[in-house]
This record gives sequence, structure tokens and C-alpha cells, in this order.
Amino acid sequence: MKKSIFLVAAILVAVTSCTLDKTDYESEISTVVTEHFEYLEVVSFTKNDYQISIQALNGTFYKGYNDFRLKIINTQTNESLNTSEITFLPISTNYNGNNSSGPHRYNLNYNSTEDYYSGYAVFTNESTDSENWKLYLSFTDNDETYTVDENIIVEAQTNMNLNMTSFTGSDGEQYFIALVAPQKPKIAQNELVAGIYTYNPPSNDAGTFPDASQFSYSEVTDYTLLLDPRMPEPSMGNHSSLNNEDLTQQEDGLYYGIVNYTMTGNWTLNFRMQNQFGEILKGTEVSTEFTPGIEGARSELYIDILF
Amino acid sequence: MKFLTLILLLFAGLFIQAQNTEKKKDSIIALSEVKLISVVKKKIETDMKMAVSVDEFLASSENISFIKRGAYAWEPLLNNMSSERSTITIDGMHVFGACTDKMDPITSYVESNNLSAIDIKSGQEGNMHGATVAGSIDLKRKSTPFGLSKQWNGAYQTGFEFNNKQFFNLANTSYSSDKFVVDGSLAFRNAENYSDGNNDDVEHSQFTKFNASLGLAYKTSELSSVKLEAIYDQANDVGYPALPMDLWLSRALITSATYKQVFEKGLFRALDTKIYFNAIEHYMDDTTRPENLVHMDMPGWSTTYGLLSKANIKKNRFSSEIQLNAYNNLSTAEMRMYPQDRSERSMFAYSWPGVTTTFAGLSINNSWEMSEKSQLNFGGSLGVNYNHSKYVEFNWIFHPGTPQDKTRLLPSLHAGYQLDINKFNFSVGGGYGHRAPSVSEGYGYYIYNSFDRYDYIGNPDLDNEISYEGNASAGYKDDKFSIQASVNYFYIENYIIGRILSLGSPMNYQSIGVKGYTSLDYSTLFNFSLNGSYSILDNLHWKGVLTYARGKDENENNLPFIRPLSYQTALHYQHHNLSFQTSINGDLEQIHYSPEYGEDQTPSYTIWNLSADYTFRIKDYKTVIQVGAENVLNAYYSTYADWGNIPRMGRNIFTSLKFNF
Repeated sequence: MKKSIFLVAAILVAVTSCTLDKTDYESEISTVVTEHFEYLEVVSFTKNDYQISIQALNGTFYKGYNDFRLKIINTQTNESLNTSEITFLPISTNYNGNNSSGPHRYNLNYNSTEDYYSGYAVFTNESTDSENWKLYLSFTDNDETYTVDENIIVEAQTNMNLNMTSFTGSDGEQYFIALVAPQKPKIAQNELVAGIYTYNPPSNDAGTFPDASQFSYSEVTDYTLLLDPRMPEPSMGNHSSLNNEDLTQQEDGLYYGIVNYTMTGNWTLNFRMQNQFGEILKGTEVSTEFTPGIEGARSELYIDILF
Repeated sequence: MKFLTLILLLFAGLFIQAQNTEKKKDSIIALSEVKLISVVKKKIETDMKMAVSVDEFLASSENISFIKRGAYAWEPLLNNMSSERSTITIDGMHVFGACTDKMDPITSYVESNNLSAIDIKSGQEGNMHGATVAGSIDLKRKSTPFGLSKQWNGAYQTGFEFNNKQFFNLANTSYSSDKFVVDGSLAFRNAENYSDGNNDDVEHSQFTKFNASLGLAYKTSELSSVKLEAIYDQANDVGYPALPMDLWLSRALITSATYKQVFEKGLFRALDTKIYFNAIEHYMDDTTRPENLVHMDMPGWSTTYGLLSKANIKKNRFSSEIQLNAYNNLSTAEMRMYPQDRSERSMFAYSWPGVTTTFAGLSINNSWEMSEKSQLNFGGSLGVNYNHSKYVEFNWIFHPGTPQDKTRLLPSLHAGYQLDINKFNFSVGGGYGHRAPSVSEGYGYYIYNSFDRYDYIGNPDLDNEISYEGNASAGYKDDKFSIQASVNYFYIENYIIGRILSLGSPMNYQSIGVKGYTSLDYSTLFNFSLNGSYSILDNLHWKGVLTYARGKDENENNLPFIRPLSYQTALHYQHHNLSFQTSINGDLEQIHYSPEYGEDQTPSYTIWNLSADYTFRIKDYKTVIQVGAENVLNAYYSTYADWGNIPRMGRNIFTSLKFNF
């Protein structure tokens, strides 16, 4: 009888629980990554009778690539502008008064279905005590042009999957690569989206501040971003994945490719940037050797991600 | 479709046959085991040793060999084929191990004192419990009949094995009344590292195992009964010297409820329906291996629900067994690697990305005694196998766009003819059958195989493995002498095996590359065994077994884990209550090894074993005491199937004491 009581007790203990819980996959891949879906207001200000509001994901501008939606409402008529020419120029001023910007869409596009102006900005650094970002906008209504400027805060991007890098190519041009997607990678094939931009050096002297010609950037066209993702962690021995696809430009101007992440953790996206003539402007080929115990060597051009 | 028709014909044949024969009543049927297609029952002990583990017992069968990764949980190979090619069941219940590295074959979740027999069927004859290629191994649980004259029965066995300081206690008891039966067993084993033939410790070869089982049967009417059964098994701190990891804990709960109905007359003689549930959790541990570069957790879980329903039909010389099998299994296994700086993000992936296997199949086996001397056995089965991968994106990494679900049809057919002429017996048979890839073969993700040091990737699109087999045997038996030769030959289409992928790079630091499960066009396997026995004197018996096997792939290269020529010869001497046994067994040099699959040539070895036992009575209790030694000469050896060439146990003196009451 004692035996059976013991047995029943043992069985009860066994039935009631697993010793260790299974990993919840969704929360596992969200451990260090938060995915934002919602466009919330980042900043809102007025100019005369106009209320200007800018929305971005999570209501925040981050270092790196930011997609945003801008609306201007005439507070008199309570109607939003839809025929305006809107220009957008973010400028960062550091403690000794030097101005700089980052890749951005200067002339915003109007999205008629959703009734907003869309643009993007790649902020090259976050706001600090000594680095201050300011937006310079202009818009037109009833043949009148209005200009307005407003301080904004750019926060550090904690999601490494939206990291960016800037560098000078072998052609002497200054380039920017900013990751756009995936925000929250999966252990899977992920569509990897990045913006590639170049700085257009001004051909004339600076006019009245802010002179957009001094802060001009453009999306590079018809380049290819060759991709080799690897795990840098020494114990992973330069582990890589397969079936990855190099990034090529699509109609929206961004570059699309495929990256396969075989597990969570630190990954390095090793790049080589190739122009339309097949010349490598930046980046080195990395070793494909499996080298357990040795941290994987990175390309000259890379972005680290973590998920 | 052809096969579907054939199977339907088989059923049709059965009923036509049944109708043509006149009704005849059997005498009284006791409600115990109704076995119409006969099964040879064996006691769970070997000739050499009465207190054996399930593995040791299985090893005494000539068509079973083992891959050994340590002293515990050996992977049984039936007809020299790995365990995914055979169906291994407990009373027909499907249980699936939760370890991606095959550390936990089903045989590791039972104990010798809760089993009554192990039923091994070769090839398609073993299709009763589901689709198979190699055959089936069914572990039969103890089942005490109702209304025994002696209500309480039991046995207690204890012993010590000196080599690995294994101490074991096995107890089982049963109560039988007219209405109610209870079976219970408890087992506990604890062993330290064993030492090899050079007296060196084989580190990480310890184990601790606890097993308990309980069965309650109630007779609901004269001819029907219900039965509830459960097995609980727990293993702690089990070392696997051949693997880079050990086991921290594994637990299994195996439960079932059975309803049995026997009929005194009519076509149907017995109906037996069982629903079952089992859950296994398996947690590997590498904290005992400081030499590992990466600390890694690899937990696995396997949960199975199932139903099986069996009907026995008998008409005169014709008997038939029909069985419906249905089960649903969810296998999930994870890996989590920790960077050297533990504060950093750990690296996670599923090695089994939540794979569901649902199977439903109908099997029928018929036996027709054509005359006193000859018998025809034939049967078939048809099963539907459905797989679903919860996190199919893992599979897409290597197999982009592969569907999340996969349904397969698994037919099987077999026929055999037996002839007895005087003292000679002959049999010939053939079979055809499909099997679905296992969870690892279909959906495994970077499963590290420490044998060939590759990471293995499953392929959900693998074709069914299709087996064509032929078998034959001939034997002679008289009062003193018997000899039996058996051969079988398998031609297996789409033989699933790992092949080096030029894609991807290893994930485990010990690994040297990535292999993907792929289908060979075909491979062939040949098994031969010769058994002989001779009664030299009334109390002196000789027995010998010789086995040979050969496995080749489509390019005539050797398949891995094929047993070389092996032999066993044993003498048994009985003098009153005292008996002596001695045996010699060994393998010849492994000529046909497979470097491609990580094998190297294993030299020959010979092992000599000895044991003696004495039976006496303490009061009313029958008591047996046994002393013996395995590997008396302390030979240093490892076999062709020892993972990573780990040496086997050196000289092992064992003692055991058994009381029966």
C-alpha cells in the first residue's frame, strides 16, 4: 500500500509540471528587440494658422533610418493641406557651431489615400548636450511660402537591427547605409532592407542658412550590396548562414535582399558595396573558414545586429 | 492505389474465408492473454545473467545490435538498421524519445521488472503497430491474470556489479482476485563510472535510474475488463562518455487505459482497445564538461496521445489480427548556446521546431494453417502520416518554400510460408513497405552528430523510404540437436542518410561541416544468422550463434553500423540446484566499414563470460543467488557500434540475489 501511495505521489508530481518550461519563441525573439508598428506623434508645432505634426514609429526619432508622416492643418478651415510643396531639412549643430545633416527626403511626397506627406530621415547621431537637431520646413499654401524651424530630439536606437554606418568609398564619396527592416528578425529567412545614400558636396558657397544645397543627399541607384552574414562570437567559429541574397535596389529606392539568421544572438552583416560598373567601393571579402574559438573577422564595411 | 486495392483484397479474403468455414465453439476462454498469432514469450533474463537491464536482454537477440554511447540507454538496431527504421512500442503504444541525439531510446524508459517479454518482428511482419522498414520491437508489460489461486505474488532482486559499482534493487508484486488485479514494480539503479580493459576509468559513464509502474485491472463482466496502467521513469545524472554532453534529468510518464472484451463464440474472439498518453522530458547538461568551449542547454520534450484497437478473429484454421493505430506526437527540442561572456545575449534555436506527427493506420495480419505441416502468414497495412512544423521558417532556411504540412501514405504488405517436414522446417517470405522520415530526418535543425562530427539538417521533402525484402530460413531440430539458418535481404529505395552539404556552416564548435538528410537511390542490406544447440548430456547444453551482415549504398560503398561477422558460443551445465554458464562472444575485424559516415576500422575482439547460480529455499521463498563475471580476461575493446570508439567495460564481476514469493 505504501508503494502505491508513493507511486501515486510520484505520478502526480510528474503530471503536474514539466521540470523546465519550454521557451516561448515569440518572447524569445523579443528579448532585446521591440518591434514598433504604430505611427505616433513625435513633434507638433504651429506656424501662423497652421498646425504641423510629424508622426514616426513609436512617436520617436531615432538615430538611423526614420520613416515619418507629416500633416499640416489649416486651423482656420480645419482642413489639411494636400497641394503644398513641402521641403524638409534636418540639421545638427554641434558645440562649436558646425552644421551637418544626414540623408533625408527634401521634397516630401503626398500620399493621397492616407492624406499625409511622407518622408524619411537618417539621423547620423543622437541628440546630446553638444549636438542639437533642428528641423527646417517650408510649405506653401495659397501661393504663399512659409518657413518654420523646430528643435527635435533624436534618441539612441536600441534596436541594433536598425543600425547605420557611414564611410567614404574608394571613389572619394561619402556614403551612408542605414538598416530599415527587419525590425524584429526571426530565426528564418528575413527580408533585409537598407537605404544607401551619398552626400552631394555643394558646388557653390553657402547662401543664407539653411541652404539646402549645402546639405544635399541622394539615394544611390543601381548599386549592389553584397552580403555575408556571420556570427562574430568566438565560440561560433565564424558561423554563417546560407541562401542569403545580395541587396539590390527596388522601385521605392531602398535596397532589398535576404538574410537568414540561423539562431538568435549577435550577427555581423558583412557588406561589400558594388557600384553599377561592378567596382567594389567599400568592403572586403571575409574568410569563410570555420574557426572555433576565434572571433570572426569583419569586413571593412559591416553593420552589427543583435536579436 | 494498387496497394490500397491489395489491402482491401486482403480484408475481403479474410471475410470470405471466414464465411466459408463452419462454426465451431472453443472450450472455455480465460480472460487473460488471447494470442491468436503466436508470440514466443521470453523471460527477461539472459542465459548468462538473471538480473539484466532491458538493453542487455535485447542484446541477447540475434537480430538486435546496439549503438552505445555509454553504459546507459543503448540504441537498438534491428536488422542492422537505426532506430527510426523500426517501430518501438510499449504494449503497442508509441512513445518517442525527446532527445535529438538519441540519448533516450524508448527502451530506456522501461525496466526489466515491469516487462514480461519483448516481441521482436523482422521486416514488414512488424507492421502491426505502424509503418516500418526494419521491423518492430514491442515491449510487453507484465500483466497478471485474474483469479490466480495464489493471490499475492512478487519478487525482489538486488545485486551489485563491481566494475561500475552498480547497485540495483528491483521489486515487483502482484495481487490477483477474481475481480481485481494489481501489478506494481519499483526499480532503482545507481552506477558510477565503469573502467575499461586497461583499468582506466571511462569518465562520464555513471547513471542513476528510478522506475516505477502500476497497473490496475478490473473485471467488468465475465468476459470483459478495464485496465489502467502507468509507468514513471526518471534518470538523473547520466553520463554519455561518447557524447560532448551528459544528461541532467529525463522523465517519462507513460499511461494507458485499456478495455478488453472476449467473445466465446462468433467470428470475433477478442477486442482490445487502448487509449494512451505519454510525456517525456529530457534535459541535457554540459556543465560537467568544462573542456567544452560553449555552454549549451539542449532540452527536449515529446508528448504523444494515441489510440489502438485490436480485434482477433478466428475461424478454424484461419486466424487474423486487425489493429487500428492512431497517434499524435509533438516533439520540440531547443538549443541555447551561451557566449563566453554570460551577460551577453544567449543564442537560441529549435533543433526540432515543434514538429507534430499524426498517424492513423489499419493493419491486418492473417495466419492460415493450410495443413498440419504448412502455414501461410500474410498481411498488410495502410497508414496516413501527417507532419506539421510549427516554426516552419526554420526549415525554410535550408529548404526555402517547403510546405508546413506534409501528408504521406504508407502502405505495407507481407507474406510468408512455413513448412514443417518431420524434423525439418523451412520458411520463405517477402515484404514491401514504406516509412516516413523521422522528426530529425524531416525537420531536424543543426543536430550535432558526434560520431561523424557533422551538424545534421532535416529535409521535409524527403520521399518515403520504400523497402522490398525477402527472407528465408531452414532448420532442423531433434531431441538433442537443433540448427536454424535465417537470411533476409532488404532493398531499400530512397534510403535516408546524411550527406555533406556544400551550403551553410556548422553551428556547433566541434562540428566540421553540415550534412543534410538526403535519399540515396537505394541501398541494400543482407542479414544472416545461424543458431545451433546441442544437448551433450542431459545436464550439459551447448548453444551457438553466428551472424553476418552486409550493407551497401547505391555506389557499392559500405553503410555505417553494419555488424561484422560475430559469434557467440555458450555452455550450460546444471547439477541439482546449481548451474554454471560460460560463454564466449566476439566480432571479427570490421572489414566493411564506412569512412564516409565517420567509421574507422574496428579490430576483432573476444570476450569470455562466466556465471554460476544456486537455487534454494528460505522458508517458502524460492531464492536464487548468482555470481559471475563478464569479460573475465579484462579485454580492452570497443565494438563497431561504439560511438566514438569508447572502450567497453573491462572485467565486471556481478552478483545478484532474487527472492520469489
